[in-house]
Amino acid sequence: MVKTLLLLLLTCCTVVLAVGLGSVPIAPADTLRAIGHGLSGAELSGSDVIVWQLRLPRVVLGLLVGAALAVSGGAFQGVFRNPLADPYLMGVASGAGLGATLVIALGLGSLFVPPLTLLGALLSVAVALTIAREGRRLPPARLILAGVVVGSILTALTTFLLLQNEDRVRQVFAFTLGNLAFAGWPQVIRLTPYVLIGGGVLLLLSRALNILQLGDLTARSLGLPVERLRLLVIVAASLCTAGAVSYAGIIGFVGLVTPHLVRRLWSGDYRVLLPISALSGGTLLVLSDLLARTLTRPAELPVGVVTTLLGGPFFLYLLRRQAT
Amino acid sequence: MYKTLVFASLLLGTAHATTYPLTLTDDLGRKVTLKSEPMRIVSMLPSDSETLCALGACDKLVGVDEYSDYPAQLSKVAKVGNLYQPNIEALVALKPDLVLVSKYGDLTAPLTNAGITVVAVNPETYEEVFSKTLTLGKIVNREAQAKALVTQMRRDIAKVEILTKNAAHKPTTYYEIDPTPYTVGPNSFIGVLLTKAGATNIIPASLGDFPKISPELVVKSAPQLIFGVDPAAAKARPGWNTIPAVKTGQVIKDDALDHILSRPGPRLPQALLGLAKRVHPELFR
Repeated sequence: MVKTLLLLLLTCCTVVLAVGLGSVPIAPADTLRAIGHGLSGAELSGSDVIVWQLRLPRVVLGLLVGAALAVSGGAFQGVFRNPLADPYLMGVASGAGLGATLVIALGLGSLFVPPLTLLGALLSVAVALTIAREGRRLPPARLILAGVVVGSILTALTTFLLLQNEDRVRQVFAFTLGNLAFAGWPQVIRLTPYVLIGGGVLLLLSRALNILQLGDLTARSLGLPVERLRLLVIVAASLCTAGAVSYAGIIGFVGLVTPHLVRRLWSGDYRVLLPISALSGGTLLVLSDLLARTLTRPAELPVGVVTTLLGGPFFLYLLRRQAT
Repeated sequence: MYKTLVFASLLLGTAHATTYPLTLTDDLGRKVTLKSEPMRIVSMLPSDSETLCALGACDKLVGVDEYSDYPAQLSKVAKVGNLYQPNIEALVALKPDLVLVSKYGDLTAPLTNAGITVVAVNPETYEEVFSKTLTLGKIVNREAQAKALVTQMRRDIAKVEILTKNAAHKPTTYYEIDPTPYTVGPNSFIGVLLTKAGATNIIPASLGDFPKISPELVVKSAPQLIFGVDPAAAKARPGWNTIPAVKTGQVIKDDALDHILSRPGPRLPQALLGLAKRVHPELFR
């Protein structure tokens, strides 16, 4: 309980800091005034624009994306009973990457990036699911294999496209490191339903995920429709991830490690694990993004680099402490 | 008197003709010796190809990389891939006596092993455009032409600069090279041209030459002119509709100009003129 309160406090502090600090210094009083202006719908000017139209939606998008990745990561690990499963396992990231590359290679406007990344991500999951299916069953090992291979094929296609358009390589490279730079309220509004629906379904399934940890046989004998559950979790988690990727690019690590952090600090009970993961993942991403845009300000670091540099050592420390 | 004349003609002679064997240190820091004047050259850098042609050595080019598309006569020259995906077999089959490369890519080792002379010449900063032109002139025995070209380029640049130098108003400008967003610092070669075109770059020099920046900085700096962003995309970015350049429609995406600007070579004055016309249309009526 204390730990959860501490986490909530950390989340609040992070959000306040992230709205207050940035690549352009803005005084706390001005920040508050800007939020007031934004809420009242007043005419915005100067630093108001930065706080209300750039920084605040960036923080909110960070929370949503971090939460989506962490919840999907936890759900994937649960449904595959594999500690290395992550939100990108089913080829989601490669499919999204291919979609984004297509937009960039064809020279379509950046407005086309979200719909095509989303389409790419969902199609790749659909292909992996179709291939892995064995009659009506979805054996986890086959699913992982199919996902990894579909992912590899799509990555190869992406690389091929990139080599044909070398001047655009950097843009796609940046996408693969994740980017919250151009987050605005419209993106936040469009991403919210994916996270609410996908994440909501996963939270509703947390009890079933607990039972699944006992093994397929036990779960079946307890009356759990294992195959349908597996399909539902994969679809919900993929929806969540694909939405996040299409608005923020591929941000590694958050989805893989956050659920493990929660397992070690709280518990492996999915009814606790999933919501706490959402909160921690969101906080980790907002904190990383804050560092990404302040450490070298007014230049920026790719946020994916910071999530890994920040979360990685902490995770290794926990791993080591548990071992001894 | 006679002695002075002989001495002077000797001096002139050495100034106009390269003496081979020629030993120089290239951009990879290697000491390279050219035994004689290269006659069959492959250039793997578009800016080097342009420079050679501007020096009147275009007919020495037996192969170029796939991006070398200027001047037009290069379209007839064999294409041998690019720095990162070279077609080494095709390259060697052209029997070049010199291959010009960049310090990027890994062409040097395989070509040197095949017994081919390789020199890395890749201009990156504004001043390097001139110094590398002279280096290339020396390499292909066109020193006089190289000096004349550099003088001509500096003169053409000065002509634009005279106009823009005293411009009453130097619009604050943001130049984006890709929408991640990456931009140019004032000391980069595009940044120098931007200043010479009479613009004020909003990017501080301390960020380096090609920094990835925060969009907050652009909104805060409120530039009057934006280059390299699609006008519709600029409008769609959060908060950008408050930037003066976006409000007044001074958002310019000119692919042809961007293309010339990406070539640190003899078309530098042309690139500057193109920029200056966009920054100060009133001066070029």
